Amino acid sequence: MNAIEVNGLRKEFKAYSSRPGLSGAFRDLFTRNYKIVPAVNDINFTVKQGEMVGYIGENGAGKSTTIKMLTGILTPTSGQVMVNGMNPHKERERFVQTIGVVFGQRSQLWWDIAVQESFRLLKKVYKVSDADYNEHMDHVIKTLDIEPLLDKPVRKLSLGQRMRCELAAALIHNPPLLFLDEPTIGLDVLVKLKIREFLKEINEKYNTTILLTTHDLTDIEALCERVIMLDEGNIIYDGALRSLKEKWGEGKEISFEFLERAELARLQTLTEDLGAKWEMDEKDQIFTALTGDDDEVISQVIARTVAAYKVRDVKINEPSTEEIIRNIYEKGMMHHG
Amino acid sequence: MFYVRMFFQYVAQYMKTRLEYRADLVVEIFSDLLFQAVNLIFILVVFAHTDFLNGWNRDEIIFIYGFFLVPYALFSAFFNIWDFNERYIVKGEMDRILTRPIHSLFQIILERMELESLFGAITGLAVMFYAGSRLGLEVNWYDPLLFIVLVIGGVLVYAGIFVMIACISFWADARTSIMPMMYNIGNYGRYPVDIYNKVIRFVLTWVLPFAFVGVYPAAFFLGRDEWYVYSFLTPFMGLAFFGLSVYIWNEGVKRYRGAGN
Amino acid sequence: MDKYLEMIRIRFLMMLAYRTNYYTGILIYSINIGAYYFLWNAIYGGKSEIEGLSAVQMTTYVAVAWMARAFYFNNIDREMAMEIKEGKVAVELIRPYSYLGMKTMQGLGEGIFRLFFFSVPGMVVVALIFPLEFSANAATWGMFAVSIVLSFLINTQLNLLTGITTFFLYNNTGLIRAKRVLIDLFSGLLLPISFFPGWSQEIMQYLPFQGISYIPSMIFTNGFTGSEAVEGLLLQAAWVLILVIPIQILWSIAKKQLIIQGG
Repeated sequence: MNAIEVNGLRKEFKAYSSRPGLSGAFRDLFTRNYKIVPAVNDINFTVKQGEMVGYIGENGAGKSTTIKMLTGILTPTSGQVMVNGMNPHKERERFVQTIGVVFGQRSQLWWDIAVQESFRLLKKVYKVSDADYNEHMDHVIKTLDIEPLLDKPVRKLSLGQRMRCELAAALIHNPPLLFLDEPTIGLDVLVKLKIREFLKEINEKYNTTILLTTHDLTDIEALCERVIMLDEGNIIYDGALRSLKEKWGEGKEISFEFLERAELARLQTLTEDLGAKWEMDEKDQIFTALTGDDDEVISQVIARTVAAYKVRDVKINEPSTEEIIRNIYEKGMMHHG
Repeated sequence: MFYVRMFFQYVAQYMKTRLEYRADLVVEIFSDLLFQAVNLIFILVVFAHTDFLNGWNRDEIIFIYGFFLVPYALFSAFFNIWDFNERYIVKGEMDRILTRPIHSLFQIILERMELESLFGAITGLAVMFYAGSRLGLEVNWYDPLLFIVLVIGGVLVYAGIFVMIACISFWADARTSIMPMMYNIGNYGRYPVDIYNKVIRFVLTWVLPFAFVGVYPAAFFLGRDEWYVYSFLTPFMGLAFFGLSVYIWNEGVKRYRGAGN
Repeated sequence: MDKYLEMIRIRFLMMLAYRTNYYTGILIYSINIGAYYFLWNAIYGGKSEIEGLSAVQMTTYVAVAWMARAFYFNNIDREMAMEIKEGKVAVELIRPYSYLGMKTMQGLGEGIFRLFFFSVPGMVVVALIFPLEFSANAATWGMFAVSIVLSFLINTQLNLLTGITTFFLYNNTGLIRAKRVLIDLFSGLLLPISFFPGWSQEIMQYLPFQGISYIPSMIFTNGFTGSEAVEGLLLQAAWVLILVIPIQILWSIAKKQLIIQGG
C-alpha cells in the first residue's frame, strides 16, 4: 500500500511586490502589483508504507509547501493528493488522526505547562486509550530519554530537550506516517544521533513511514535510502541516495598541505594536460585538485605535485553528498524528472 | 461528547496555568471591574444632567447595561480572538491547529479562553438586580429560563460577528484594526436603539446586530412590549449569525496560505 | 536626529502597507462618532446647553476628541511589554540610540499617518454628516495644533511609563488595559470634565489625564478661549515636563535590573 500518492500537485501563491519610495507606497494603497508564482509545480511521486524518504531542496524550493499540502494545512491549487488513503484537506479531522507532524521551528507543546500535562492533553485530543498510551509511550519516553523532563514546563527546556519531547508528542497516537520538517535544526551532534537512532527504531518496529525535510544532509545519509530533490517547485531527482552519488559524485579530490609556499597558477600549469582543476583554501594553505575517477590520472597528479613542492600531507577524498548536491544546484540541473 | 470532554480537559489545564500567576489574575479581574465601573460612571454622570434618555430613565439604562454585561462576559471568556490574525496567521500557529483532529475554530476557542472574564457576568447580574429592584421588577418563574436563552442568543450574535471579522485574515493578508474598533461599536447595543437614527438602528439590528446583545433582550424584562418581537428574535439571530460565521470560517480555512509566504 | 526621522518614515510606510486599516478606519470612526452624536442628542433632549456647551458644540467636541485620539493614541506600551518579555530590549539597548526616544518616534510616525489618513479625511466625512461647528479664528486652530502635539506627548509618556513597568511585573496586560480605560474616562474623551461632579473635577485638576483629550477638544470647540486656552496649554506643557522625571527614574532602575538579570 502506498502511504503517499501525489499526482500533478500544484500550489500557486500571489506574490505582492511593493513599489519603492513614498509615492510608490501611496499607489500601493489603491492597486498593488502581484504575480502568480507556483511554489510547487505539478509534481508527482509516491511513497510506500514503511519507507523513509528525504525531501530536500534549497530554501524556497517548495519543500514546506508540499509538506503542508500533504498534512492538510494547505489546499492544493490543482492535482491530487492521497495520504493514508484519504484526501488530507477534505477529511482533515479524520485524516490528521493518522499522521504525526514535527515542525522543528514551531512547538506543538503548551509553553507554560509541564511536558506530561501536554502529553496527557494530546492523548485526549487523539483519543488514545490508557493501555495503548502506556504500552507505546513508556517505550518512546525511555528511548528518547525524556523521563526526567516530564515534570518541567516546556519553556524551561533546552532546544535539544524540547525537540525530543516534540518528537514524543507527535507519536502519542502512534501514527503510521510521520512528517518531520527540519527536526534537527540547531541541535548538537549527540541529540541528533539519539533522534536518528530513535527514528530508525520506530521505523523498524511499527513500519512507520517517514518523510523528512532537512538542511542537514547527514540526517538523510543516516536515515534515508531514497531522496526526492526539489528545485523551484519541480522534482529534479527522485531515487536512491546511492545512485545519486554514483551518478553525480564523479571524480576525486586530492588535497595537499605543503611545507613551503605554493602557487596556484604553477600547480595549474603543471597538471594542465591531465585536466585537474585546482582550488585553494586561503586560511589553511590547503590546495585541492579535482580530477576524474581515473586512477592513472590521480597518481600522475600526485607525482607531479610532489616533485614540485615539499608535501606535509596528502588526502584523497570522494566528494560528500553535500558537495554533490551543491554541485547539482550550481549546475542548474537540467535533468528534470 | 468528545468536544464536551475536550472542553473540560482544556479548562482544567487552563486553571493550572492561571493559578500559577495569581497576581496577574487579580489585576486582570480588577481591570475588568474598572472597565465596567467606567461605563456605569458614564451613565451616572450623564443622568446628573438629564432625567430621561428619549423616554428611558436612569435605572432602565442601567438595567440594560447590566444585562449586556452577561453575554459580553461569556463572549470575552470564550471568543478571545481579537488577535487571531497576528497570533495564528502571521506567526503560523494555524499550522499546528490544522494538524490536530479537532475543529480548528473550536481548538482556538479552547486555547484562547480567559475564564476570569466570567466575573463580568456576576457584576452584570448584580447591576441588573440593583436596577431591577429600584424599578420594582418582579421575577417570574420562566424569567431565568428566558434569561439563559436570550443570553446565549446574545453570545452567539457577538461571537458570529467577531468570528466573521477574524475570517478576513484568510482572504486579506493585511493586519486589520477592525477588531478593536468593532468593540466600540459593540457598545452601542447597550443603549436603547431608538435614540439613533434609522440607518444606525438598521445596522445595529440587521448588519452588525449588536442590539440583540443588550437592549432588545433586556427590553423583555423591562416590559417594553413594543420590542418583544426583537427580544424573541434574539436566539434566532444568534444561531443565524453564528452558523454563517462557522460556514465562512470553514471556507476560509480552505484558503489558508500558511505562514511566512 | 536623522535616525529618528528615518524611524518616523519607516513607521509611516509600515502603516501605509496595511491598507485595510485605511479603508475601514474612517467608516468605523464615523460610526463611533455618530453613535455618540445620537446619544448626546438624546441627553440634550430639548435643553439648549449643559455646562456651558451647546448641543452643536458637544457634537463637535465628540468628533474632535475621537479624531484627535486617532493621532495621539498608540500601542507602544503593549509593544514595549512584548519586546521586554521576548528579551529583544537587550538588543535595542546596545543600539546607538535612545530606546525610549525611538519608541516615541515610532508612535509619532503612526500618529502622523493617522492624522492624515484618518483624522483629516474622517473629520471631513463626519462634518458632512453631522452638524459641526468649526472655528473661523486662526488663533484657535494654532492653539489646537500645539495642544494636540502636547497631548500626544503626555499620552506617549504615560505609555512609556506603563511599558517600563513590564521590567518589574512579569505580566502587565491587566495594567495596560486598566490604564487605557482610565485614560478614556479621565482624559475627557467620553465626557467633558466639566460634566463631572465638582469634587471629582477637583481631583482631576491634579492629574495629567485632562491634558490628553479635554484641553485640546475644548480649545477646538471654543469652550476654552483666550486666557483659559493659554492656561490649558501651559498646564499640558507642565505635565510634559513633570512626567519626564518618573520616566527617567524608572528607566534607570529598569536598566540596572536588566543588567543584573541579563535580559
